[in-house]
Amino acid sequence: MAGTASPQSDALARFLAQASAARAVEIAALSPLRGGAIQENWAIDAHFTGGALAGEQRLVLRTAAPTGVPASLDRLQEFAVLKAAFSAGVTVPEPLFASGDAAVFGKPFFIMRRADGIAAAHRITRDRGLEPAFPAIAERLGCELARIHRMHPPRPDLAFLPAYEEVGPVQQIARFRAYLDRHRVPRPVLEWGIRWLETHLPPPVEPVLCHHDFRTGNYLLDGARLTGILDWEFAGWGDPHEDIGWFCCKGWRFARLDREAGGISDRMPFYCGYEREAGRAVDPQRVFFWEVLASVRWAVIALQQSDRYMIGGERNLDLALTGRRATECELEILMLLDPGGAPSDV
Amino acid sequence: MFDQPTGPSLLALARDVLLTDLLPLLPEEARLDARLVASSMAIAERESIASAKLVDDILTELETLYGQHLGNKTGEDEPLRRFAHDFRVGAFEGSPRDRRSREILWRLTIAKLRLANPRFLSANGFT
Repeated sequence: MAGTASPQSDALARFLAQASAARAVEIAALSPLRGGAIQENWAIDAHFTGGALAGEQRLVLRTAAPTGVPASLDRLQEFAVLKAAFSAGVTVPEPLFASGDAAVFGKPFFIMRRADGIAAAHRITRDRGLEPAFPAIAERLGCELARIHRMHPPRPDLAFLPAYEEVGPVQQIARFRAYLDRHRVPRPVLEWGIRWLETHLPPPVEPVLCHHDFRTGNYLLDGARLTGILDWEFAGWGDPHEDIGWFCCKGWRFARLDREAGGISDRMPFYCGYEREAGRAVDPQRVFFWEVLASVRWAVIALQQSDRYMIGGERNLDLALTGRRATECELEILMLLDPGGAPSDV
Repeated sequence: MFDQPTGPSLLALARDVLLTDLLPLLPEEARLDARLVASSMAIAERESIASAKLVDDILTELETLYGQHLGNKTGEDEPLRRFAHDFRVGAFEGSPRDRRSREILWRLTIAKLRLANPRFLSANGFT
C-alpha cells in the first residue's frame, strides 16, 4: 500500500496523533520496505500538526511477518530493548511509540525514526568507494558493540529477557539438538560441530546485553557514516564474545570472505574499537568458540527460515532458498575444526 | 523413455531465457526475485543430474565405515541418521574410524555444495 487514505493508514494516523499529542497527522505515504527477512518494516512519510513531532516526519513502522523463527522477541519487547540501547548512547533509530492494539495495524508494532543509509550487505561489501573508510567503520562498529555490552542484568526495563542461565551455550546446544531431532534431514556435520562445542565450553562469564544479530546487513551506512544499528529482535543476555564471533563468522562476510570482520576489514580495527570503548581485551579463544557456535546457529536459523516455506506455507522463494545456506555453514565448521582438511581426492 | 530435450536441458534453456531476455525487461524491484528464480532453476538442474549419484556414493562410504550393508533400511535417510547420531555421542572419537568419518563429512558437504552453491565452494578454495 503506497500513498494515502485507507482504513489502515487512517487508524495509524489517529494513533500517531494521539501518541505525539498532535492535533492531526496526515500520512502521505505508507509503503513496505524490502529487506526484513523476519519482520516487516513500513516506511511512513507523515505531516504532524502540533505535538511533539510537529512538521514533516520520516518514520518506520516495524511489525511481525506472517511467520517467524523461534527465539525472536515480540515487537513490544524489541521496542523496550531499542529504547535501552538509545539511552545507552548506541547509534540506533530513535524509538518513538509502540502499540499492542491490533485495531491499529492488525498486529503489535512500534514506530521509530527513519535513518538515512543502506544496509544491503552485498552492496556494502562490494562497494569499492567505501574501501578506504572500511577500517574506520569497523572500528566504529567495535565501539558501538562495546556500548551495547555496557548494559548488564538486572534491568527492570528488560525484565522480560530470559536469564543468562536459560540462554547460555549449554542451553543453546540443547536447543540446536532439539531442533535437529525434529528436522526432516539428518545433519552429521552440525552434530559434529555441536559435539565439539559441548566438549569445549568456555568458563562462565558475567553476562551483558548482546544484540545477537550484530553483523553487516544489520547496520545502516549513509556513505561512510554509520547511522543506525538495526534489528534488535534477538537481543538478550549473553557472553560479549558471542556478538564478536557472530560479526566475524564467515556467514556474514558476504562478497568478501577474506575480510574477517563483517566482510569489511580485518579484525584488528574492529577489536581495537571494541577494546578501547569496553576497557577490556578481546579473548581470541573465546571468540573462536563463539565463531564455531555462530556457524552452527546460522545453519539452524537457515533451516528454520526454509521451514517457514516447507512447514509454515509462507510463499517466499528467498526463505525457501535460505535453507541451502546451512551447507555453507557446515563447510565453515569443517574448515574451522578439522586440521586434517579435506581428503585430497575430493 | 522420456522425450528430448531432457528436464535438465529445459531448465538450463529456461534459465538462460529468464536471465538474458526477460530480466532486462523487468522493473528494478522485481529483478531480485527473478535472480532467485534463476538460482532455484540452476540448483534444480544440477540436483536432477547428480543427486542420485551423491546419495549412492555417500551410502557406499558409510557401508565401508560401518563394515555392513546399509541400503535396505526402511527410510532412505536412515544410514545418514545413524551417522549423525554417532557424531552426537562421540562414537568415533579416539577410534580408528575417526579420520575416515570426518572424510565422509567433507565428501558429503563438498558434494552438496557442488549442487547448491559451486561459487561459494570455489570462493573457499575448492573446485
